[in-house]
Amino acid sequence: MSGEEMIFKPSPGLSVGVELELQILNSRDFDLARDAADLLGLLEKTAHPGAVKPEITESMVELNSSIHGNHETLLTELKAIRDAITQAARRLNVRIAGGGSHAFHQWADRRIYPTERFNHLLSLYGYLAKQFTIFGQHVHLGCPDGDAAVYLTHILSRYVPHFIALSASSPFQQGEDTAYQSSRLNTVSAFPLSGQIPFVQSWAEFLEYFEKMRGFGIVEGMKDFYWDIRPKPEFGTVEIRVFDTPLTVERAALIAAYAQSLARHILVDRPFAPSRDVYLLYNHNRFQACRYGLEGTIVDAYTQRQAGLKEDILRTLAVIAPHAASLGNGEALARLRAEVVGGRTDANWLRGVYRERGSLNDVARMQGDLWMGLRTHVDGKVPQT
Amino acid sequence: MTQLSFLPEFPPVASPLALFGLLLIAGMVGGELVNRVLRVPRIVGYVLTGMFLGASGLGLLDAQQIKEAWIFVDIALGMVLFELGRRLDFTWLRRDPWLAATGVLESGLSFALVFGALTYFDVPPIYAVVAASIAIATSPVVVMVVAQELKAEGQVTERALNLVAINSVIAFVAATMLLAWLHHEYQAGWQTIVLHPVYLLTGSLGLGFLATGMLLLLSRWLGKTGRGHFVVTLALVLVTVGLARTLELSVVLVLLAFGVMSKNLDERHDLMPFEIGRVGEIFVVVLFVVSGASLHLDGLIEGGTLALVLILARFAGKSAGVLALTYFSGVRRGTAGLLCLALTPMSGMAISIVQNTTQLYPEFGAKLAAIVLSAVLILELIGPVAVQFALKRAGEAKDEAV
Repeated sequence: MSGEEMIFKPSPGLSVGVELELQILNSRDFDLARDAADLLGLLEKTAHPGAVKPEITESMVELNSSIHGNHETLLTELKAIRDAITQAARRLNVRIAGGGSHAFHQWADRRIYPTERFNHLLSLYGYLAKQFTIFGQHVHLGCPDGDAAVYLTHILSRYVPHFIALSASSPFQQGEDTAYQSSRLNTVSAFPLSGQIPFVQSWAEFLEYFEKMRGFGIVEGMKDFYWDIRPKPEFGTVEIRVFDTPLTVERAALIAAYAQSLARHILVDRPFAPSRDVYLLYNHNRFQACRYGLEGTIVDAYTQRQAGLKEDILRTLAVIAPHAASLGNGEALARLRAEVVGGRTDANWLRGVYRERGSLNDVARMQGDLWMGLRTHVDGKVPQT
Repeated sequence: MTQLSFLPEFPPVASPLALFGLLLIAGMVGGELVNRVLRVPRIVGYVLTGMFLGASGLGLLDAQQIKEAWIFVDIALGMVLFELGRRLDFTWLRRDPWLAATGVLESGLSFALVFGALTYFDVPPIYAVVAASIAIATSPVVVMVVAQELKAEGQVTERALNLVAINSVIAFVAATMLLAWLHHEYQAGWQTIVLHPVYLLTGSLGLGFLATGMLLLLSRWLGKTGRGHFVVTLALVLVTVGLARTLELSVVLVLLAFGVMSKNLDERHDLMPFEIGRVGEIFVVVLFVVSGASLHLDGLIEGGTLALVLILARFAGKSAGVLALTYFSGVRRGTAGLLCLALTPMSGMAISIVQNTTQLYPEFGAKLAAIVLSAVLILELIGPVAVQFALKRAGEAKDEAV
């Protein structure tokens, strides 16, 4: 069965596409609601670009963009889909929010969205399936062939802490401050098939590995691997999955532009050879990013030195600047750079709101207002109500 | 003074507190039994327990005791109506005007059809019109409690609760305005005719407004402490219920207004959201036991046929209104049908309206009671089952397994 779907379908030059998992909140206490089916039904009746799909629990939906060449068109489309979802949500009196986690929902209250696959995941993973009510951004990067995809996956692994720190937006879980900037990834780690791609060097080698796993009956397709970064042959992409869903589509587009420009640098300049050391240091660096965000310290596998995460990102931004420029992402990355320099992250914004308002209900409410565009994200400051 | 004067009087007089506890236990047992054996909502069991203990059954609860226990009913009613008021979200009604329109249309149609049907069966117009206005309201308590029991959440639940809030307000305003007619019919002076309804409406809204102001001030001062807000809200609900009684205002309208205003006037989101939950549950049990006890089975024989006419006409009216307009709200297919079922329970508030009217005009009240209370009796038993079915069928009840 894997024959067709494991053939790597080439993508035109370094395209980018985005998936955002979103929270559906009620308007009463701003806890997660259960209106995914009604929301999707209403959206079916309205014309909008992209796609909106169900996710594992009834409190989530997933937004998919089309394939884009650069930041500008991506952002325009994301805004249009956001507006369509917002309008539908308002008619149903629910709210839509970004953010990697809901601040205070109780996982036991969640209900699985009734499809065959999601019911299977519930029977297989038990409570983990409900705890999986966390919200990520996935960025797809188009690759010319399978070998390039394998190479890109290995090199991007070095930058996983960047992706985490830039998108971190899940400081609260189950009503508590976790002390993490991104607590969402701790939930992902509980799944047996989470982790990273094995250290294969070509698409042929990867297929060999995949067939072995399939032969053991461990996986059926690529979707069964919950890796941080995975090749997606049927789309012809490499999919980065470690991002928390940012609080705004604007931030989501900036992050996608960063990943796209970085990928161009990697595929055009071929700056490093894949290194096992990246994976040796992987969990340490990943933890630093989850726990401390931009303030974390990583060990660079290639220089074998410690580096502050913020400095490492700023350095990388400088290196990929020419690629950003030729993609048309220059302005976007300049904006992202300013955010990094200012230390402004979504996790910090959420904590700021909580300090200001003293209630997680208010955090969830304002998180929704922000995503729906009813409140503007001014310099990361906590806006007055 | 005899040697044994330290002993209590004989026969002993039950204190209201013991009465409350006993009713609670009896209700819990009845509710649990009915739930286990018949798989219907516990409310049905509470009502049956009340009927079993009350005038229709063993006669253990007499009118005096029911009157004493009525305070607990008021507390329960206060909490539920306050919470229901908080669900009536004006911003939503602005964004989905079809929902507001549905509420108005189903209220209007159920009024018209009930009035038409009753007069067709030779009920004098003045009784028919009061019965019809009472029939507009869906029981806030039944819908709310069943929804809470099932931990239901979704479009059918939320829309049903908003429609209930709308039709409760419309029913109350209609009943109050009819009071004027009633006064007129009974040759009251013009001051009574005009001023009584005006007093009821403005007084109830005013009291609700004052309570809201107090609540928002206190919660702002307390800051965001969940427990503090809970206690203050509960306290103000009690104060408001008590004042509504003292001032001869409507508990229903005052508490509904309090809830609605505390949600819609709280622009800075000072009040933390919470649910009255467990505490409310206790009083709700007693509410249904007592309302069961105050229903008379013998009235059913007298008013039974007309009650059935009322029920059918009401269901037809509500369904026509809901089915006509719900489509335009863009919800899933099937939602409208389930909403019709969810609006079935008739309001226990009918009991208090009838009682109030009886106090004012005993003869009128008795005739009205035969029709209305029989309908309430039937729907107290069927209504919760209909709501439970609707919410479960909509897939909005919380599932039990992991």
